[in-house]
Amino acid sequence: MRKANFIVSGTFTLFAIFIIAISVGYPPSNHGVPGPGMFPIIIASLIILSALTLFIFTLRMPKEMDSAIDLKSKNVLNVYITMGGLVLYFVLLPLVGFVVTTSIMLILFIKWFSKRAWWKTILISVLFTVAIYLLFGSVLNVPMNFGLLI
Amino acid sequence: MLLEVLNSVFSVQIFLFIILGVFTGICIGSLPGLTATMGVALVLPLTFGMEATPGILLLIGVYVGAIYGGSISAILLRTPGTPAAAATVLDGYEFSKRGESGRAMGISTVSSFIGGVVSVLALWLISPQLAKLALRFSAPEFFLLAVFGLSIIASISGNSLAKGVLCGGLGISLSFIGIDGITGYPRFTFNNINLLSGMSFIPVMIGLFAMSQAFSTVENIFTPDQVTQKISKVWPSKKDWKIILKTAPLSGAIGTMIGIVPGAGAEIGAFVSYSQAKRSSRHPELFGTGIPEGISAPEAGNNGVTGGALIPMLTMGVPGDAVAAILIGALTVQGLQPGPLLFTEHTTLVYSIFLGMFVANVTMLVLGLSSLKLFVKVLSVPKAILTPMIFVLCVVGSYAINTNFFDVGVMLFFGILGYFLQKADVSVSPAVLGLILGPMAESNFRRALLMSEGSYSIFVASPIAWVFVVLTLVTLLGPAVKERLKKH
Repeated sequence: MRKANFIVSGTFTLFAIFIIAISVGYPPSNHGVPGPGMFPIIIASLIILSALTLFIFTLRMPKEMDSAIDLKSKNVLNVYITMGGLVLYFVLLPLVGFVVTTSIMLILFIKWFSKRAWWKTILISVLFTVAIYLLFGSVLNVPMNFGLLI
Repeated sequence: MLLEVLNSVFSVQIFLFIILGVFTGICIGSLPGLTATMGVALVLPLTFGMEATPGILLLIGVYVGAIYGGSISAILLRTPGTPAAAATVLDGYEFSKRGESGRAMGISTVSSFIGGVVSVLALWLISPQLAKLALRFSAPEFFLLAVFGLSIIASISGNSLAKGVLCGGLGISLSFIGIDGITGYPRFTFNNINLLSGMSFIPVMIGLFAMSQAFSTVENIFTPDQVTQKISKVWPSKKDWKIILKTAPLSGAIGTMIGIVPGAGAEIGAFVSYSQAKRSSRHPELFGTGIPEGISAPEAGNNGVTGGALIPMLTMGVPGDAVAAILIGALTVQGLQPGPLLFTEHTTLVYSIFLGMFVANVTMLVLGLSSLKLFVKVLSVPKAILTPMIFVLCVVGSYAINTNFFDVGVMLFFGILGYFLQKADVSVSPAVLGLILGPMAESNFRRALLMSEGSYSIFVASPIAWVFVVLTLVTLLGPAVKERLKKH
């Protein structure tokens, strides 16, 4: 947890510095009324203060209170692969179309996660995709036709 | 107006939506890994095309049902379906070990109903008065209210105040994106047209609450959940009824009070009710061994939070918990702004929500007592199939709000970020609440200074403002002072 706390505190500090760096370029206060940059600077300063507090508390944290965070086990690697798959799905979705991309994504994930027979996996995936397509496309009037295919 | 409200809630269409919401909620809540917040976030996109009353009541149905549904797996699997049911595990699973899971679920159902009804009554009685009071608020009071809300959210929503403030700060920072409401100056838009109108908070919420949770489920996707218990005799015995009627109303009231506090969710409501019941019991040593009070108190407590959380949300636009934050999103999509004006401009809607929430609790009782076997079957739906389907719902839900793929990217980004924040033990709720309270704080801060021509004394010019200043200081400094006093 120590390592994670240091990373959290460092990342948030960088994020806050980034906000301040942009906000100082915004128009200044006018007749005592804050300009658009003032509140972001206040909040970013608060973030830096909290990040520093977290940093100091973590430094003073007794070693026996430290706990490891699982970021490399096989289970977590499965999450990373899933994230990668979904990013790919997000990229292909507008290009290919909802029904085809979603059905393939579901088939691959369900087959991987559950090891069911192919025909059952395909049936579940296609039926669910079509149901969502009809629910959002026809009942809720959300435009669901995009991409080269359907 | 009464007739309008009755007509509105008791129309076939709305009644069906409430039943559908409660049913869906119980199914979602009973499945470990799917929380009430996630359920409401996933169902939210379905309400975009609906009118305000059916849309909001569908979501409230999901909320009420999911908070109750969490007890089913808590009792049967020793795994709370939602964090709100964590306290129910302590005694609930002991019943199952003795083969009395039906009895435990009967106690849980009736207690949840009583807790829910107490909270609806409080919502009904307190909200209009609070809204009247809030009508007297002007910019400085609203600013201080938002600051108080943010301070309390940061201090109670995680294990560390610093992490709570960091995450709240992240949420507020996201609210800066877009054209500044007062000067019209574009902030943090990086010449991206999608950012000009600001960060749409529904994709952020779906990402932080639903997608990140689904990622966490993937970690244990290959571990099956087993349900071996058979359910029988759900209706509580005379002896159990006596205990329920003694415990549940008070626990429901405690849950309601906790729900009113911004940021304190159903999980806290359940644990506080449980420990209060234990403290006031003649036999506290029996808690944890499977006694009816051990189920009745947390279940009435967590459902008590449901109505309580809506009180600050409807009257002042300050969400009582993460679900209330999503409901603010749902109201905003309908073009409605939660706050005191809602009570004067949309009175029928407000009272329809009150009555609809009562109907949702009755529906929960009826479904819970009559269809438990069906809900237990839901537990055997494999998460290996359910989780990929949740991915699709998250994607379609984020896309549907503006029919824009940029929002899907935002959802995915916050889903991944939420997963890592959870890993680092950072609660994501303050981010969403910050996203909602941030604009309220900033616009009223600047408006107040505009009113006072730059004089900061306006923030301590009224008694109400002083109340909020003192409350904020107590919230932020209280824990540190207490710690110091303990040491000396």
